[in-house]
Amino acid sequence: MEEFRYIPKKELFKCSVDLSDAQKFFVWDGVPEGLSLKEIPALDASVSFDISSRMEHLTYAPSLEGILSEAIEIIPVEGLLTQVIFVRVSPAPLQSRIRIECRRPGNHEVVLCSHTTGQDRFLTRETIEVEVSSGASLDLVVMQNENSLSVHKSDFRIKIEEGSSLKMNTITLHAGNVSNKIHALLSGRKASCNLNGLYLADGEQVVDTDITLVHNAEECFSRQLFKGILAGNSRSRFTGEVVVSPAGQKTEAYQANNNLLTSDTARASSDPHLVIYADDVKCSHGSSSGSVGDQELFYMRSRGISEAEARILQQQAFAGAVLEKVSKEELRERLGRLVEKRLRGEDTVCEGCSKRCC
Amino acid sequence: MENLLEIKNLHASIGDKEILKGIDLVIKPGEVHAIMGRNGSGKSTLSAVLAGNENYKVTEGSITYLGQDLLKMKPEERSWAGVFLGFQYPVEIPGVTNINFMRTAVNEHRKQKNLPPLSAAEYLKLMREKMAYVEMDPSFSSRGVNVGFSGGEKKRNEIFQMAMLSPRLAILDETDSGLDVDALRIVANGVNRLKTPENAFVVITHYQRLLDYIVPDVVHVLYKGRIVKTAGKELAAEVEAHGYEEFE
Repeated sequence: MEEFRYIPKKELFKCSVDLSDAQKFFVWDGVPEGLSLKEIPALDASVSFDISSRMEHLTYAPSLEGILSEAIEIIPVEGLLTQVIFVRVSPAPLQSRIRIECRRPGNHEVVLCSHTTGQDRFLTRETIEVEVSSGASLDLVVMQNENSLSVHKSDFRIKIEEGSSLKMNTITLHAGNVSNKIHALLSGRKASCNLNGLYLADGEQVVDTDITLVHNAEECFSRQLFKGILAGNSRSRFTGEVVVSPAGQKTEAYQANNNLLTSDTARASSDPHLVIYADDVKCSHGSSSGSVGDQELFYMRSRGISEAEARILQQQAFAGAVLEKVSKEELRERLGRLVEKRLRGEDTVCEGCSKRCC
Repeated sequence: MENLLEIKNLHASIGDKEILKGIDLVIKPGEVHAIMGRNGSGKSTLSAVLAGNENYKVTEGSITYLGQDLLKMKPEERSWAGVFLGFQYPVEIPGVTNINFMRTAVNEHRKQKNLPPLSAAEYLKLMREKMAYVEMDPSFSSRGVNVGFSGGEKKRNEIFQMAMLSPRLAILDETDSGLDVDALRIVANGVNRLKTPENAFVVITHYQRLLDYIVPDVVHVLYKGRIVKTAGKELAAEVEAHGYEEFE
């Protein structure tokens, strides 16, 4: 760990994303940049990384050896987007602990990006605790852009309390083997949770999404939209369970998983579940897997759009249904351009970036 | 003058069912042809075959377009060469905006001619100009292609696309169906503004109504996959008055 802490990291990875009203933080192999361990910094009045070990309640998977990062605490404030960029440099496995806390009313925005530098086989396991309470609303974007050998297991533990809301968009642009496990609890009246995800995979890549969303209070709302575009021999597995407890009267819960297969050898499995113990609820779920619509394709080609280009337009449209849920326009447009590059088989790097992060 | 399109003994099937049973048709630049016929006579099959819809199999005959074998060309190649099909049922493409769709199409056409893509400003200027042909509100450009458009709006969108691509040969498949009188007039005006001595139109319709606005040089009656009668524009009025029974 020590040897990597002193490499001039900025030479390894740069982020050209320059969002307005945003503050950017780098975390190198679990170590926040510019901070020494055990120090509680006053970087910005509004954002703090609490490098302490007081989050004992987080659980770790003890099977993975390697670096165990200090806990990183993110407390966003209204009106300032907090962007935290996690970069993997050292090939040693890493277990990260991240906590996002929103305890004040108002809208909060957090973007978490994960990148790898170089072509090592990076193993990252992370636990991300998210707590939204006191009527706060949190808009969380998780962007995963890693190399094809990377293995990234994320375990999201989400709690949304009374009158509070979370919107989370998980964009898996590129990675070897990703697992996003999301456990969300709606624990207080009128809590609301929007979970959206877009995953793009090709070659031998694998993307797993495993969701358990529990409605444990009255009048809560949840909506999930997960979409995947799978090429080559890639695989996706989606397991989504919505549980409405006896306390969850007047619940509204919707879940959808749609997969677009662009090759004969790509596979998508989808397993949506509803488990309902209350009687006054509105719930629905659905899933689909298929290839592109021939009629649309013919219509576009008849206008002189080549078949390859028509397929890209269709895939962009398919992905667009998730991307349009990203609230911040600059971010949405940038993600849109990255998705387009990805669909065209180009490297998913931002404009002006000379580094290969995937 | 060189023929724009020459169809010889065209037979086409969908599945095992033969729909076109020997069509012969010659179209010269500057002409407007109307093809009339009952449902199931093969009108839409003919237009689909001309545009290159792979659901239809050509089993016999040939189509020559500007000296080229049209049947060997992909749908997009036909478009680049100047063939345009106005769909009877324009396809909805959720998530692809009208502007993105048409800009991609226009720029692919330009690429084939070794022209640089239009800048956003150039495209918008052209788009507004052509939208005015069919009295289409520019706000349509930001909506998904045909998504939530009324029947009339969809047909106007077809004519707008035609105006953007300036085809040599435009086939309008029942563009009049589902249109009220005002929309019909708007669509017909759009078509008439695009007529030049170089291009040609094939107007496929059930009714004479559209042909009051777009006056054809030649009218063909299609019956059971064959052209059974060809005459001048007066034939349309005759069909309107007596129906298709006399051709049976």
